[in-house]
Amino acid sequence: MTTTLNRPSASAHSAPKRALIERLNIFTALALGVISAVVVWRLALQFLPQDSEEAIFFNREDKITLLSMIAWFIGFMVGIGALIGPFRWVMGKDLSHDENMFYAGKDLGVKRYFRYTTDHKVVGIQYLVVTVVIFFIGGVLAMLIRTNLGNPEGGWIHPQAYNAIVGTHGIVMIVATIIMVTGPFGNFIMPIMIGARDMAFPRLNALSLWLIVAAAAPILWGLAIGGISTGWTAYNPLASQAPLGQNGYIMFICIFAISTMVAGANITTTVIRMRAKGMTWNRTPIFIYGVVASVALALPAFPVFFLSQIMSAMDRAIGTSFYDAQHGGSGWLYENLFWLMGHPEVYVILIPAVAALMEMAPVFTRNPLFSFNLAVIGIAGISGLSALVWAHHMYMSGWAPLLNIPFMLTTELISIPTGMLFLVLIGTLWRGRLWVTMPMASVFALLWNFMIGGVTGIYLSDIPADAFLHGSMYVTAHFHYTLMGAGLTGAIAALVFWFPKMTGRIFDAKLSWISFWMVQIGFQIAFIGMFLVGLAGQPRRVEGYAETFNTGNMVTTGGAYLIMAGMLVLLYALIHSWMNGEKASMNPWHSKTLEWTVANPIPLENFDVLPTVTTDAYGYGKEIR
Amino acid sequence: MSTHTTNHHVEHPDVVGSRNRLGVILILVADIAFALSVLFVYFYLKGQNVNDMWLPKATEDTAAVLPLSSSGAWIVTALAGVGLLSHGSALRAAKAKQNSQLVLGSIVALVLSIGAIAYQLNLIFSVNFVMGMGSYYSCYMLIAWLNVVHLALTVFIALGNWNRARLNLYAKDHWQVAIVNVWWIWMFVSSGLGAFALTFT
Repeated sequence: MTTTLNRPSASAHSAPKRALIERLNIFTALALGVISAVVVWRLALQFLPQDSEEAIFFNREDKITLLSMIAWFIGFMVGIGALIGPFRWVMGKDLSHDENMFYAGKDLGVKRYFRYTTDHKVVGIQYLVVTVVIFFIGGVLAMLIRTNLGNPEGGWIHPQAYNAIVGTHGIVMIVATIIMVTGPFGNFIMPIMIGARDMAFPRLNALSLWLIVAAAAPILWGLAIGGISTGWTAYNPLASQAPLGQNGYIMFICIFAISTMVAGANITTTVIRMRAKGMTWNRTPIFIYGVVASVALALPAFPVFFLSQIMSAMDRAIGTSFYDAQHGGSGWLYENLFWLMGHPEVYVILIPAVAALMEMAPVFTRNPLFSFNLAVIGIAGISGLSALVWAHHMYMSGWAPLLNIPFMLTTELISIPTGMLFLVLIGTLWRGRLWVTMPMASVFALLWNFMIGGVTGIYLSDIPADAFLHGSMYVTAHFHYTLMGAGLTGAIAALVFWFPKMTGRIFDAKLSWISFWMVQIGFQIAFIGMFLVGLAGQPRRVEGYAETFNTGNMVTTGGAYLIMAGMLVLLYALIHSWMNGEKASMNPWHSKTLEWTVANPIPLENFDVLPTVTTDAYGYGKEIR
Repeated sequence: MSTHTTNHHVEHPDVVGSRNRLGVILILVADIAFALSVLFVYFYLKGQNVNDMWLPKATEDTAAVLPLSSSGAWIVTALAGVGLLSHGSALRAAKAKQNSQLVLGSIVALVLSIGAIAYQLNLIFSVNFVMGMGSYYSCYMLIAWLNVVHLALTVFIALGNWNRARLNLYAKDHWQVAIVNVWWIWMFVSSGLGAFALTFT
């Protein structure tokens, strides 16, 4: 927590408001959010005029739904206390030191996890819990999909509901994977790793977390009123004509985009301005590069997605025609805006997960990170090129055929910086003295899964091959190998690796291994099966399929159940280790980064005295251990 | 990682100010991306002119849809520009420790931001927009509402800035006034970009 020298009189202004700060928590937020939504819903029902005759593609119900969701959002954020800081600034009544300490959760015990707490460690834990909950919801939806696909004629789920489940699973999992590393570990670990007392903007840090919590309600609400029948991409004009549940998607993305922008500015500022003395850029741990690259990519990318959804809402609710070709709009406009975010977003997910494993590899091989500079160049190269590849998702859409070849080239070029990261990992493993823990094994799993995800992606970047594979289960298998096989593997390894620092306890090694093997074996079964049916021509996002694909689908569903079982073991291990795990020493992995130099439990401001860094973090010798 | 320790419990306002300025600039990067995307939408749909429905021509049943004058948008930009100049004078006064000038510049900037938003809202509600008027009107609305959102934030910030100046909270340092100036610059530029786009119909 940072304090300034100026305005010692601020506390004199603030005494009467302390009581309000103390009262606000998640329960007041939920209550105020629900009350606001209900009140606005009733008022809108009462006072909004009926639709005019021109209302072909939009209707009054969309307006009512959107207004109610906006009211929920505002009510929730007021109820959690997010607006106190800005309004106190306007009133000239800055938060006093005591109030800042209260916001930071000082002496609040477990209650601080249910409040608008600003301590980055609390926010990190909150992010971890939110991420687990989102994965759980997305996972349940995935199992519904796979169970339904156990039968060629479709199963027991109504086709409309099936579509809604597929769309919700997609977007929920995308959001979960976006926050799975930068959320928990970018918030909890990163500030300590760079030798800072907190994030640059602690209140914005809490804001980014609670925005995600606020965003959850619209998507679930949407599921109850028709769901997302468009798939996670929500292409227009299809989305403009979709059921009311599409409004949930729109609100979800808009709120999440704000959260991402806020988090991006906060994390980037923290790293640029608050690194410990002596932590030059070539002494800054590679994980930090991964986190910054991720959020820096998201910073300009998500506003574009945000805009695409605002225009979608305007088309639905007030009858504009951004995407309606009959009235001068264009579906290609949406596709461009969507993929301008959509492809960088893949690397927003991947880079921090790979960087986390690059951070762990030296620890468990007792080797220095192989070619730190190459790793940085690789991350920068991927980040830069990722902004130039978006239209490879649109080869088959008919948009600008002349641009297909340039986009194919930029997409295939991205293999080069990606290959650099592979080289760094393999070089670090080379002749290392391996300490075979679950995070170490995850490095190997990542190399395998990412190789398959990457190589299969090259075919999709190739225009003739894409003409055949586009829209098939092959694509689904490809991006699961990339986002789950590589990204989620890295995130789970990060959880096990940093768990001792976050909770003060060791993650149960035996259970982590059981989970690891169940998930990895299940994953290969599920998605190699999916590759095969995709290559044979099974389209994605369909409820039924030809009899010939039955065996492949049965295999995939079997693999998915094994993944689910492995994930449940992981969840049990997480809870069990947190409650009853072996107490961890300060540095159980004998790592050399700064977060392992602080005691367990970590003091509120992390460091009594700020460290000065004199060497890099990878000076390992093989004789250690 | 070898370290030794130094003691830093309290940060200098310049350090905090520098950090806050970078944070605001990074948030502006996101807002700039948003605003540029709005311009992209405008020129993309104008260039595509799908089904000749950017500005629909007259038919037997309906009259031609005519473009709106961009002068209203330029007036909003001008108000933002004068607001920026006024805030700039407030910033100079803050640097020179002249609090009365700071308060005066801040309140003029606040009044101008309120005037600009009122004028912009009046422009929006005076447009007789109905479904089927083509994509030009959709884009016009988008740019106009973007201005409203920016101006609403400007009013909020300008109000806080004036109030804090009035309470003499900038007596010891002025980094917050400088950051508000960064926002005013962007407000002026974004408003000008919107007006520039609307000049091409």
